[in-house]
Amino acid sequence: MGKKNCVAMLLAGGQGSRLNSLTKNLAKPAVPFGGKYRIIDFALSNCTNSGIDTVGVLTQYQPLVLNSYIGIGSAWDLDRKDGGVTVLPPYSASSEVKWYTGTASAIYQNLNYLEQYDPEYVLILSGDHIYKMDYDLMLEYHKNKGADATISVIEVPWHEASRFGIMNTNDELNIIEFDEKPANPKNNLASMGIYIFNWSVLKRLLREDDLNHTSSHDFGKDIIPQMLKDECKLFAYPFKGYWKDVGTVESLWEANMDLLEENSELSLFDYDWRIYSVNSNHPPQYISPDAAVSQSLINEGCIIEGDIHKSVLFQGVTVGNGTVIRESVVMPGAVVGKNVLIEKAIVPPDINIPDGTVIRSLDGKIVLVTEDMLELLAN
Amino acid sequence: MNNMLLGVIDATTYHDGLKELFLHRSLAAIPFAGRYRLIDFILSNMVNSGIVSVAIFPKYQYRSLMDHLGSGKNWDLNRKRDGLFFFPSPNLDSPHKGIGSFNHFAANMDYFYRSRQEYALISNCFTVFNMDFQPVLDRHINTGCDITVICKEEQSLEMFLVKKSLLIELISTRDETGYTCMCDVVADQDYNNYTLCTYEYTGSYVAIDSIETYFQANMKLLQAQTWKDLFLKDQPIYTKVKDEPPTRYLTGSSVRNSIIANGCRIEGTVENSIISRGVVIGKGTVVRNSIIMQKCEIEENCVLESAILDKDVKVQPNTSLIGTEENPFVVRKGTVQGALMNS
Repeated sequence: MGKKNCVAMLLAGGQGSRLNSLTKNLAKPAVPFGGKYRIIDFALSNCTNSGIDTVGVLTQYQPLVLNSYIGIGSAWDLDRKDGGVTVLPPYSASSEVKWYTGTASAIYQNLNYLEQYDPEYVLILSGDHIYKMDYDLMLEYHKNKGADATISVIEVPWHEASRFGIMNTNDELNIIEFDEKPANPKNNLASMGIYIFNWSVLKRLLREDDLNHTSSHDFGKDIIPQMLKDECKLFAYPFKGYWKDVGTVESLWEANMDLLEENSELSLFDYDWRIYSVNSNHPPQYISPDAAVSQSLINEGCIIEGDIHKSVLFQGVTVGNGTVIRESVVMPGAVVGKNVLIEKAIVPPDINIPDGTVIRSLDGKIVLVTEDMLELLAN
Repeated sequence: MNNMLLGVIDATTYHDGLKELFLHRSLAAIPFAGRYRLIDFILSNMVNSGIVSVAIFPKYQYRSLMDHLGSGKNWDLNRKRDGLFFFPSPNLDSPHKGIGSFNHFAANMDYFYRSRQEYALISNCFTVFNMDFQPVLDRHINTGCDITVICKEEQSLEMFLVKKSLLIELISTRDETGYTCMCDVVADQDYNNYTLCTYEYTGSYVAIDSIETYFQANMKLLQAQTWKDLFLKDQPIYTKVKDEPPTRYLTGSSVRNSIIANGCRIEGTVENSIISRGVVIGKGTVVRNSIIMQKCEIEENCVLESAILDKDVKVQPNTSLIGTEENPFVVRKGTVQGALMNS
């Protein structure tokens, strides 16, 4: 294997339990987003668009869909002779199975993978976020600062700062303190969970961390604090642009709605920074004489006979006559019958919504439609 | 299909009637239904019937056809053994009339000698249909016929199933027999010893041979039944996939009875039309009974009626392009249409 300058490690083992039934059989990075994509498409497309051609994807929770989706990486042009995408599940060694107990332990278990490329730098990513970012610019910044590690940060609203890991920096953006979910934040620069490490430094840190039995083996909780203690050179890389953690039903819905804004910060139509995905083969969408569609994103294979307003419809969705869908997200293959009303809801993949069903929020919260709910409504 | 059948597609057909759409591409590569090329239908039908070795014989302007087919990956034909073969004609000037020119085949005999398949299906590239060829092969074997012609209501679809050994014989004896293609053999059946059978295709089809049939065939897609006959879940039509985002409908858009591909941005009104991938339709613009091909940009306050816009056409604001159903307004690839030019 050839030596690589920078190898990306994409953490994709998360359950995303706050997405409830959406992640029952699916890891969070595989959750559908934006009418055609899955969440992980953003990180993988960022890699390929940034010129990173070697990506290890660390999977653990419900990996079936994710594994088959990633395949050999050809959708992102990551099917390479040297490098490319490699799915890295937990494995057994000697007498024990080594589950990934934390983000750092997941990387530690795969030191062999990284060693074969002997990189200068390792980029740690999370498969949970929606954003477009040129990692190459961050790497340049990391090199120019002469840092041991660089953490990408984004300004969040002050009132939300206590939900994030906050980086306190000096004027040169040197990180001097790390506050995990502080009650009284001193700063509003939140960690985006994107790190660049010098490989030699990271290797040493991971080995030491593995021996520390009090460690939870997590980058935010253990590795970064240890680096601060060791007085390593840690820099914050300020990112400007759209970035969203779609960890809850509410935020997943919001991020989909953000795409419908007239001047959305997150453009899917930017041909210089394409978001790639596995293209399913469907005929074009058919909009019937009785349909009305406005302010929406609609994918191939949809057959629309109803009214769609401010909604995101994934591939192969059928919407019957007289049905109204407003401010909702309808995932692949869902069949919505006639005279149905859906408002402010997320409709999961391949579900059948019978004629005349009314789905709307009573308390202003976003409704996540489930089979159980439909059964209740039917009775 | 147990790998018994070779697929042979004649992609050399040229129709004067399609000249304007044809300038940059062979008939096989003409866009259809918003995201396909004509060849996708026969090619997908072959693949869905279990054919694993397909040879394409193109002649005129095959750059866009090659670009479309690539390695054959989209049809699952990028195989180590068998797969997709491309045999451009070495004789650019030699005229020939029917489907399956023996001269053209003769220049690539190795393909027929080397392949293991026992039978060959020879087809044209311009028929829009969805058909399983397995029953045709079964019938061909059971009847013991020399040549099976696929027909619809006694009209030949210009698709022929023969034993490969017979095809090789026909090709090698073409100078003595005077047969230049499969059509000649069939037309001469009273004077030769080959037994001929027909196989009746029961589905719907359109053979594209003029701007008029092209326009009508596209418009027919707006009827639900045509749509259902053509796009079967178990026998999908494959094409070159693009990484286009879903289509975006903006405030003020009004779309009725239309087929819209991915990656479009629609702010105007669209009725009874076929809109291909990546098309932009501006505010206040009305598009009716039209076919708009890939990456066209129609700016604000335009009126398009019964128009066919080839790829990459730009229409400046306040332009009217009006044709009729019998005589659609055809705009050439990559041109700019302005209000002043048409006033």
